[in-house]
Formats: sequence, structure tokens, C-alpha cells
Amino acid sequence: MASAAPAEGAQGSPQAGAVRPLRPYVMADDPEPPPAPEPAAPVAPAVPAAPAVPVETDAPPGEPPSGRNSLALRPFLLTAGRVAGSSSGSSDPPLPLETQVVATAEGLAALDGLAFERQAIVAACRVPQSLAELAARLRLHLNVVRVIAGDLHSARQLAVYVPQASTAQDVSVLRRVIDGLRAVPDSRGLPRGNRPA
Amino acid sequence: MVSAPSPTPEGFRVATAPPSAAAAAPATPDASAALTAQPGTGRHAAPQLRPPLPVKMVIAGGFGVGKTTTVASISEIEPLTTEASITEVAAGVDDLTHTPHKTTTTVAMDFGCITLDPTLKLYLFGTPGQDRFGFMWDDLVEGALGGLVIVDTRRLDDCFAAVDFFENRNLPFAIGVNVFDGSLDHDLDEVRWALDVNEGVPLVLFDARERGSVRDALLVVLELALARAER
Repeated sequence: MASAAPAEGAQGSPQAGAVRPLRPYVMADDPEPPPAPEPAAPVAPAVPAAPAVPVETDAPPGEPPSGRNSLALRPFLLTAGRVAGSSSGSSDPPLPLETQVVATAEGLAALDGLAFERQAIVAACRVPQSLAELAARLRLHLNVVRVIAGDLHSARQLAVYVPQASTAQDVSVLRRVIDGLRAVPDSRGLPRGNRPA
Repeated sequence: MVSAPSPTPEGFRVATAPPSAAAAAPATPDASAALTAQPGTGRHAAPQLRPPLPVKMVIAGGFGVGKTTTVASISEIEPLTTEASITEVAAGVDDLTHTPHKTTTTVAMDFGCITLDPTLKLYLFGTPGQDRFGFMWDDLVEGALGGLVIVDTRRLDDCFAAVDFFENRNLPFAIGVNVFDGSLDHDLDEVRWALDVNEGVPLVLFDARERGSVRDALLVVLELALARAER
């Protein structure tokens, strides 16, 4: 990210002023990124017309957004062309699908000031849920949700709980999962007896 | 019924905060929870609802073998579908800027979940089993408890990719032979021979439409995972 951004910026900056106003939807709430705890990599400017943005291959560049239907937009317009992981440093692996996200009080307080997907995400996260659920329920691309969730997290509007991979080898967790699953009744609603070994 | 008194009543394991989060740790009680707080979380002053500990299992297999049926049988929600794409796994903007002709492949993935208790939630991700979707599996199996490879004995080769992948990743997995039509064209020994999996890989018959049957198949995987973890 950090290495590519200057190059991209060099391509995109002269045009950025001209390009971005055409896409109010994209820039609706994308001011300067909030000061991140880590030295924030410069956010790539929204340059939908640049061929360097890899996520759109099927539509001619520079095509204005058609109407208000967000699904008609190429998904990564919503993230200013960033893909998962770029908001918090490209070395970070993408957030796991089951990562739990919860709206913060700050996020809920700012709800009215948020636009579109961000508002929808924060509102949906009144109840803790996974990124996968969020993407499915809001009909957003999973990786778009990853990026926006990262942004909201940086803005302190969303708490992100990243599960640890080592949990999978944790005996006590495995026992709890097994016990919990054993209690699941079968289709007739009868709780299950002891499993034969 | 084995009761497993958990040493961590709330189900959160004590985690080591990553270096970047360490600075924020004093301000955040959550930073020491099993779910590692991301950098910046510590600045949230207000308490949030604490999410359950998410665990996941992967349901793999070729098209049409019953992955979605399996998930639907046991999920407490209607299975949801989300899309994932290759772009992020392809290491993001950097590499792709140099390969501008790379296309984005988007695949649908069905998943469901079961709240096992208020602090523990099991997610089941059904993933396409073809080779070309291998990129998604990396994403999926990271941190997964185990996998269930569903096979249709009439199309055994559909599951080879999933079996290979789980074996390579050393993920505990079982083969679930879906007998949803009530018939089995081969006996299990033949299936095992054809799949060339060793004796350590459980082979179970199950009916993807029956919740109890799906549950038992998942339990076989989990008990294998537990046996490995206890070693």
C-alpha cells in the first residue's frame, strides 16, 4: 500500500478534484481519514477512472453512477478503490469472516451524520454480529464491509473483535462447542442422548 | 453428557494484545479478552455489548452435494449468502496494480450459525469445492475448528480438492457421505479407498436434511479436533 500509493496519487491527484465531485456518493462521508493510531498509510484517492484500480474490469471507466441503487455501483467505489486490509496496513491479514463487530456508543451517537453504507453498518451493529452476517444482510460485498468496518473502527464508531486462530486448538473451547452442539435437538425436537463413542 | 467446566467462564481466552494495541491496553478492558482488540479499540470509552466468541467450521464439497442443505438443517437462521472475491486475497492493491488485467472472481458462499450459549456462537461456512476456489479456503480455514467434506458417491471426484486442501492444512476433517436419497452406491470401504484418505479420517453417513444427522456429523469432526488438541 505505502509503496503503491505515491504512484497512484501521482496519477490521480491532478484529476482528483475533477473526478470526485462526479461521485458524490463516494465522497459523501470520506473526509480526511481520522488520525489513526498507527502511522496511517496515505489513503489512495478515489480514482475510479484509473486503470490501476483493479476491481472493475467489466465496465468502462468514468461512467457516472446510475441512479441511487447502490448495487448498480461497482462495489469498491464505496471504499474509494481500497480493498480489504489496506486501511490498516497491507501486512495485516484480512479480518476473518466471523470477526464480530459492534457499534460503539460513539458510533450510534453519530449515526445521523453517517451516510449510506456506513450508517447501515453502524445501525445493524447495535447487535453484535459477524462481518459475514453484516455483508449478507446489507447485501454488500464482503470485502467492502471489511474495508468500511476498518474505517468505522478507526473513527471509533465500531468495535471490532478479531478472533484468534489459536482458539481452534483450545481444548476448553472445543469441549464447549461439543457440549453445546450435543444439546441441539434433532429435527423432531427431541434432545439427543449421550453419543455412542 | 460431558459437562465441560470452562476455566474461562465467559468463554474468552486471555489474549496477548498485539504490539500496536498494547499502548491502548490500559484504557481497554476488552484488550485482554479473547477477541483481540484491534488498534484503536481501546479508545472506545463506552462499554459495548460483548459479542460471543465466534468459532467456525467449514462445510466443503462440490456443487450440488448438499452443502447448503446441511447448513440450513442446523442453522438457527436462514442460511445467508455473501460474496467474496479474489481481489483481497491477491495481496491487495500493490500487486494488482502491476497486473491490471487480473479479473475479479466473485463467488457466493452460504453460511449459517448456531448460538451454542450466549458467549459462544458457531458459524458454518459452506464453500464451493472446486480447485479454482481454493483462494477462499485459505481465508475460511484460518481459525476453523474443523471441516466436513460432503461427498456424493456418484460424483466422488468433486470432493478431491477439498480433501487435499484440508489434508495439506492439517485441518481436522471428516468425510460426510450424504445419503439424502436413501441409497448408497458404494460401501464405505470403497468410498474410503476411492478417496484415498487414511484411517484417521472419519467417514460418516449422514442425511443433510436431518438436523440430528448433521449435528452428529459435525460432532465427529469436533471430537477429532478435540482429540488432536488434547495430544
